Formats: sequence, structure tokens, C-alpha cells
Amino acid sequence: PRELTPPSPLSFPSTVTSEQIEHLHRRFKQLSRDQLTIRKENFDSIPDLEFNPIRGKIVHAFFDKRNLRQESDGLADEINFEDFLTIMSYFRPIEMNMDEEQLDRFRKEKLKFLFHMYDSDHDGKITLQEYRNVVEELLSGNPHLEKESARSIADGAMMEAASICVGQMGPDQVYEGITFEDFLKMWQGIDIETKMHVRFLNMDTIAHCY
Amino acid sequence: SQGIIERDETPMEKEIARLHRVDFEFSDIFYFCRKGFEAIVEDEVTQRFSSEELVSWNLLTRTNVNFHYISLRLSIVWGIGVIVRYCFLLPLRFTLAAIGITSMIVGTTMVGQLPNSSVKNYLSEVVHLTCSRILVRALSGTIHYHNKENKPQKGGICVANHTSPIDAIILTNDGCYAMVGQVHGGLMGVIQRAAVKACPHVWFERSEMKDRLLVTKRLREHVADKSKLPILIFPEGTCINNTSVMMFKKGSFEIGGTIYPVAIKYDPQFGDAFWNSSKYNIVSYLLRIMTSWAIVCNVWYMPPMVRKEGEDAVQFANRVRSVIARQGGLTELPWDGGLKRAKVKDTFKEEQQKNYSKMLVRNGSVG
Repeated sequence: PRELTPPSPLSFPSTVTSEQIEHLHRRFKQLSRDQLTIRKENFDSIPDLEFNPIRGKIVHAFFDKRNLRQESDGLADEINFEDFLTIMSYFRPIEMNMDEEQLDRFRKEKLKFLFHMYDSDHDGKITLQEYRNVVEELLSGNPHLEKESARSIADGAMMEAASICVGQMGPDQVYEGITFEDFLKMWQGIDIETKMHVRFLNMDTIAHCY
Repeated sequence: SQGIIERDETPMEKEIARLHRVDFEFSDIFYFCRKGFEAIVEDEVTQRFSSEELVSWNLLTRTNVNFHYISLRLSIVWGIGVIVRYCFLLPLRFTLAAIGITSMIVGTTMVGQLPNSSVKNYLSEVVHLTCSRILVRALSGTIHYHNKENKPQKGGICVANHTSPIDAIILTNDGCYAMVGQVHGGLMGVIQRAAVKACPHVWFERSEMKDRLLVTKRLREHVADKSKLPILIFPEGTCINNTSVMMFKKGSFEIGGTIYPVAIKYDPQFGDAFWNSSKYNIVSYLLRIMTSWAIVCNVWYMPPMVRKEGEDAVQFANRVRSVIARQGGLTELPWDGGLKRAKVKDTFKEEQQKNYSKMLVRNGSVG
């Protein structure tokens, strides 16, 4: 079923300053080599990103039309600065003056972003195979870990997810996959707001750690 | 070039090693997601030990690195500000501070002469509170205390995030605590020795601090005595810039007893309270504080917490940390404040690079 389009990110109360946007713009220009748009290949120029096991998924997230709040589905070929900011907005920190409703919406947005990362075929469900893919990617840094172990970890986690979301299943029942509602259920009570944000620092003279 | 965001500095190797121990959860993706985003927003290692960003200039030179010359009028206003701060506020504050410290030493020494009794405790409280208040005035401190009904009780442990040496004064302004710390030399040592005569603070010699069992034992004894004041501990172990809460050392959470979490958040608009001990020594830090406009902060007392069945010290510490971070609007960061003084080893990075390049070469393509 189609979801309702959420409001645009600029309607959230925001404490992003124009300076921060300037910095992000400079960064954007650096990545795009002074072009107006960025393509997937532009992310290859980031050395720190190379070591990240889920690099593919992260880059993919920038071009995922679901995250860009566009009506259509699938992947964009290139994104402009506004799209770039849209994706960055998923990592905004909590603001102190948010009320319950805003906090709830905020949290849902972040979880939605995460959900899209798992759900690679865009069908609105995280299937066992998709979850296995994520686990394998995350554990890919270890040359000694066999594929079997990665699989069994994924299977175990899916079973647990099934028991949270569906409860006891009959012997013939097949758990198709985790829908977004189920995903939300799994995260109930767990505080993600303080773990999933990037906070801007002062532009004051930087001291070194010595 | 300068960094623009707060980075999560846990070495990726450590996080991968943790995953290999096969306690994998859905939430593990957070860490890598965040690292990835940080890498995309900026490449270089940023120091989170620099001060928080200000939206508009507050007329203090120390915060105006990014602001350009705007107008003559603004410069004049700034100039007047300098004169007010250095020639008027500073001497006033210095005098007050001197009075406060002297009264503290004299007062506690005098109370210390009395035999142990409820009168002594009462007088000790009076002395501590009064001197604390004088010292807070000396810093032009405006403190808003929230949820006072949750104030730490006797026999408990008060746990707070750490931004500056004056955190202790901020808290003692509203209640009496037993301090925990190392014995220092100089003026600080004099104050410590005087204060402990009036009220049972817990001071350790430097050599004793290394013996964790001894430390835990002494703190346990203190907590077990319900008539003793609540202990004040800053589990991060070092000063952080008040935008995040770092790893809590689990030692404080092994003592047992009831923990009273407290969140302290300073308003950077009036003056930056963060002490970057690698950049400034204590004297220049105090000078900066005393020539700021004011110290404005919010203190939230939170409901007491105890360790649950089957929860170990680390999990408990993280639980308390979440509560504090949430209340103060601070980021939770999983790394050790000790990294303030030591860089992540280069050898780690090289190892990591070797591993990954092996993997990449094996798999053929990237991503």
C-alpha cells in the first residue's frame, strides 16, 4: 500500500544555521567537482568511506527516491544540493523544544531511513534474504567468518523479529518479511534519537588531542 | 582545514571485532551508518574537544574566529564590552571569589574543631552552602534547577556529565555532597584538607587512585552509611564540551546503592564553560570564565535509578548515560574521554587498511 507523502523537511523546526548550510555546500561542491549534481561515482573520492562495510548501502541511500521524498520509486541517477540536504536532515539531532508529536515524527523518519536501507528491493518488506545481505555486508570485514555463520545469525535475528511482530506462528505459516509497522514495533522502547545524529561543531580554532 | 561536525571516534576495527563475537543486533547498523555519514560530510578528523557553535556572536573575542569585521559601531560596542568585562566585572568577581574561598577555608576549619554531632553537620552544611553561593556569584552564575524533588538523598551517588571544574560548585550551590577526588597540592589542597575536617569528603592519594579495589571499597563504605552525604561523581573522567556525553567509567556503577543522575547543560551564549585542559591551564581557564558575561546553565535532577537484576555495570552505566544525554539534549558517544589525550594509534589504522584492501582485492570490486 502506498504511504502518504510526509511533509518536506524544511517544515520541521530547524536549528541548522546558514553557516552550516554554507559548509555543506562547500563539501557538496568538493564532492561534485564543481558540478551541480553528484553521481554515485563521486563518493569514491572519500577515503574514510572506503573502510565502511556498508558503504554500498550508505551511498545507495543518497540516491534512493524514497529517502528523497519523491513520488516515484527506484534510484535516482544524480542528486542536487537540495537532495543532499534532504538526506542529511535524517541525521539532525534532537532539539530541546520539541513536543511529543514532533519527537514521534522525528523518530519515525529516522527509522524509515533505516528501514529503506534494509529493504533493498523497495517492496516495503524486509525479507530474510535482504536481512542476510545486510549481515553479510557488516561482517564482511572478517575473512575468517564463514558465510554459514553470517546466515545463521541472520536467521536467528529474523526469527526473533517474527516472534515480536507476529507472536506464535503455526507450523505452516511463513513469515514473509518485516513491514514498516513491525519494524517500528521492534524499536519500541529503544532510544535511537541519541545514537543516530550528527552534530555540528563550533568553527572556533580547533585544539588538537595532545 | 577546520572540522565542522562532531565525529564518533571509536575505531572501526573495534566495532567489527565486537560484531565477530556474534552478538549481532539490528541496531549495529547505526554505528556504520553514522560513520559513513560523518565521512561524507567531512573527511578530516575533527576535534569534539572544541567548543560549541554559536549562532550569533556574543561579543567575546574568543568566539569570533568566523565572524568578520562588520562595522565600526559593532567594534565600538565590543570595545566597551571589553572594558566592562576586564575593568569592572573581573575585579569584582575576583574579590568575591577570594572572599568565598577564604570563608570556606576558615569556616570549615572552625566547624572541624567541633566534636561530631548533628550540630556540626548542620553548621558544616551552612558553611558549604554559603561559600558555594558566594563562589557562584563570583562567576555571575545563573542556574536553573529543574525537578528538585529528585534531588540526591543521603547514602546515594550523584552522577553528572562533566564540562568544567566548576560543575561541582554548580551542584553544591543547591545541596551538600561528599566530593570524591585526588588530593592536590597548593591552594586546592588547602581547601580539600580544610573541607574534609567539617564533612566526610573522600579524598585519595595519587597512589591510592590506582588501586581500584581500594577506591571501590572506600566508596562502598561511605554509601553504606546512610547518614553520610551523597557522593558526587563525574563518570566521564574528563571535561567534555557539553554537546555530548562520553563513555561512563563503570567503576562508579559497581559500588551499588542508588544512583541519582543529573544533567548539566550550559548556555554557550553567555560564556563558554568548557575547559579544554590541553589548550588552557586552570588559571587561564578561570580568567576566561571570570571575563565572560555570565555562566548560565540548566541542571536537571532525574529520578533515582538502581541496577536491575542481571544487568552488569557497563549496561547500567549506559542506561544512566542515555537518560542524562536525553535530558540535556546531548549526543551519546561510545568512546572514552581518555582519547582526549591520546590519538587513535596509527598502527590500528594501518592494520585496518591492510585487512580491507585484502578484502577488496579478493572481492574484485568496491561497494
